[in-house]
Amino acid sequence: MKRRARITMTVRYIILTIASILVLFPILWMISTSLKDTPEVMSGGVNWIPKKLTFDAYKRIFTDYPFFSYYKSSILITFCTVSVGVLFAIFAGYGATRFQFKGKGAFLSFLLVTQMFPSIMTLIPFYKLLKILGLSNSYKGIILVYISHTIPFCSWMMKGYFESIPTSLDESAMIDGGKRLQILFQIVAPLALPGIASTAIYSFIQTWNEFMFASILLNSEKLKTLPVGIGQMNGFYRIQYNDMMAACFVASVPILIIYILLQRYFISSLVAGAVKE
Amino acid sequence: MTKPKRFLSIQQKSSLIGICFILPALSALLLLVLYPMLNGFYLSFFNTNLVNRNTFVGLRYYGEMLTKPDFYQTIFTTIKFTLLVVVGHFMVGGLFAGLLNKPFPGRTLYRVILVLPWVIPEVSVGLIWKWIFNPVYGLVNSYLLKFRLLKEPKAWLSDPKTAFAIVVFIAIWKGFPMIMLMITAGLQTLSSDVMEAAIIDGSSRIQLLRYIVIPSLKPVLLSSLILDTLWWFKHFTLVYMMTQGGPENATNIVSIDIYKTAFEYFKYGQAAAMSAIVFIICFVISQLQRRALSEKTS
Repeated sequence: MKRRARITMTVRYIILTIASILVLFPILWMISTSLKDTPEVMSGGVNWIPKKLTFDAYKRIFTDYPFFSYYKSSILITFCTVSVGVLFAIFAGYGATRFQFKGKGAFLSFLLVTQMFPSIMTLIPFYKLLKILGLSNSYKGIILVYISHTIPFCSWMMKGYFESIPTSLDESAMIDGGKRLQILFQIVAPLALPGIASTAIYSFIQTWNEFMFASILLNSEKLKTLPVGIGQMNGFYRIQYNDMMAACFVASVPILIIYILLQRYFISSLVAGAVKE
Repeated sequence: MTKPKRFLSIQQKSSLIGICFILPALSALLLLVLYPMLNGFYLSFFNTNLVNRNTFVGLRYYGEMLTKPDFYQTIFTTIKFTLLVVVGHFMVGGLFAGLLNKPFPGRTLYRVILVLPWVIPEVSVGLIWKWIFNPVYGLVNSYLLKFRLLKEPKAWLSDPKTAFAIVVFIAIWKGFPMIMLMITAGLQTLSSDVMEAAIIDGSSRIQLLRYIVIPSLKPVLLSSLILDTLWWFKHFTLVYMMTQGGPENATNIVSIDIYKTAFEYFKYGQAAAMSAIVFIICFVISQLQRRALSEKTS
């Protein structure tokens, strides 16, 4: 029995290590390419360690390309979307788990139906709508769009998490004379912090990485986000792969840091109910 | 002092508060999802450039699409793509969720590594792989030439067959972590007592999987199956970055087709009609999956 367990363990490690290599090698190749000089990149080959280590590609993306401005846009847009979207999702999740009212079922299935919608179909109407509202080519316009993208799944996640917190807590606080909003922010939300954290991670990833809407709705160079900026490099006649890989890496860094810092919340709150029907 | 008159019963009051809580999300969804959706349907009946041309054409675009083989080809490519990608996600994601379920040294590290593809921006993922498959300087060709598995460089993404396979592979690479996390979450809610009892009763591993694990994971599997299918059916960015729908339309999935129709050829009405059809297909798929899965296990 013991021997069998050891074999299972070894097989497990082998499979996981192969999978990890498959996941890591493109990421490492991106970093490796970004640290090479142009002649070395353009000579091909399988050198993992650059012959001449250089950070020129990183310098270039901030001097030759407007990556500072892309960064600023991405941070601003993501920050606003995540804070508003998560706040709305907290309210919706709390409302849907603590109260009975007509239309609640319809609201919850509507959340799922919106996921069914090809987002590209709303792209054209949004393009028109933002023009009418005078918000085309503005931060406000794209933030509105992104909020609408993140609310459904985030509300669903928050609802799942709030379900795992007993309502008896609310009731006893009510008896003590607490107001609903007070109860939500002082008692329930602190307990739901892991759920809120993972909802925030989810909407952060969605927003930070979004390309299609940003590429159509933001025209001026000043407003463009990181994915749009990188996507543009793909259209250049001669692609500088070391610069492009540096840009890809720079765009991934914030999200990697946030994910690694908060990853333990993510799974625990999915367990708590985000995936329940 | 007289008691203030109650306009509403306690119950009515409570349901009113409940509605107030969902109101911000609800109004955002009505204004920013439902309205654009309906507007999209509306636009599909017009020949429009969104500025000054706006002619009613009725169901013409729907008719055109349903009689043209091009559109069927696009839908077929999309279905094939989605099917392969979703099956891939569940096989890979399920395998790793299972392997990472019980604690062992290094589990957290492996889990963090395996979730990385999901975290990295789609644009970056698409371009990294495009670089790896670059015909002249790419890593894949360099290795194959070095080990003499290939006589001359191959343009992987310019050959319809290999391009489609590569795009599917990368979509699986990018998306399996989400399924892995969802299944992991589901597995952790399984009661270990039931599992142990079944093992003591002499169930084999396969039986355990078939009769205990999968049935109790059903809700998780169902919702992640539906979401994953819908997400990838309407996927855009990754494929657009790598192939722009080419070569010879081999990777021309429906979102790319709609994007090009609208923003390269400026045929907004046609694009809106195509989107409406996609919506109907997505709706049908999710209903079928729900029905199939709830019948199978009940």
